[in-house]
Amino acid sequence: MNKEAILKDINSKFEKDIISLLDKSPTRVYIDIKPEAITKITPYVFRNLGARFNIASGVDCRYHMEILYHFIIEDINLLISFRVKLDKKKALEIDSITNIIEGANWVEREIHELLGINFKGHPDLRKLLLPDEWPEGVYPLRCDYKEWDKKAIRDRGV
Amino acid sequence: MSLKLKALLKSPWVFHLSTGSCNNCDIEVLDCLTPRFDIERFGMLLAGSIKHADVLLITGSCNRQSVTRLKRLYEQVPKPCLVVAIGECALSRGLFIDSYNCPEPLDKIIPVDVYIPGCPPKPEAIIAGVVKLIEKVKGKK
Repeated sequence: MNKEAILKDINSKFEKDIISLLDKSPTRVYIDIKPEAITKITPYVFRNLGARFNIASGVDCRYHMEILYHFIIEDINLLISFRVKLDKKKALEIDSITNIIEGANWVEREIHELLGINFKGHPDLRKLLLPDEWPEGVYPLRCDYKEWDKKAIRDRGV
Repeated sequence: MSLKLKALLKSPWVFHLSTGSCNNCDIEVLDCLTPRFDIERFGMLLAGSIKHADVLLITGSCNRQSVTRLKRLYEQVPKPCLVVAIGECALSRGLFIDSYNCPEPLDKIIPVDVYIPGCPPKPEAIIAGVVKLIEKVKGKK
């Protein structure tokens, strides 16, 4: 299948869940989807279209949190990014895709500890990168992060 | 000078420790061991275990996770030992000075003998720094 056929296929299968589709370049497509649809779209793209789950990334924007799930279809060199926007005023939670793709386990743990997004149904949401003494409820990659460690030294000592 | 320190300077075995660097300094340390720079002509040898080492080469900006490991390793080095900080990150954390994960510079955690600046320092600079350290400990100019 070529790129046009794949995009048409996704568009027809998930017409209600797709908000918008941005054809950025010949090898890059961004698809905005509804947060609750990720557990429906992921298995279809992963199993039926032969895509590889590359990585997920999280961004703290002004009014919403973004999670981008990057899938690569290597046969045709196409990178599809499913973009999910979570409203900051509501609870920051989304369904976990770890039960569908085991490889998403660690990246969801990382997004959970750095941005504070709760992945519902994740088997084990422990800390991944941050140390054990890191305080609860402090998320370092959020825009409103304030330094909590009173002992930290922030000068170069010269 | 104690006998232990004198014996150490004949052939200082180095142990290389990265505390969360971008690996660029590590590559330069590795370059020192290649035939082109050949650090072994000064008797230096890369030790596989911290318990065989005399000199600690430290790169990286000391993040919260690696500080506990760093302290644990420093306790295991046979004393007297010399500590060499390589690269801007180990000196003053460089770019990561305001990072949430790098609260303290290296020389506030363990005593440092030589600072080798650069991002990354050239292998020549690393060799020059270590030779200067040896000569300083020997008491020469």
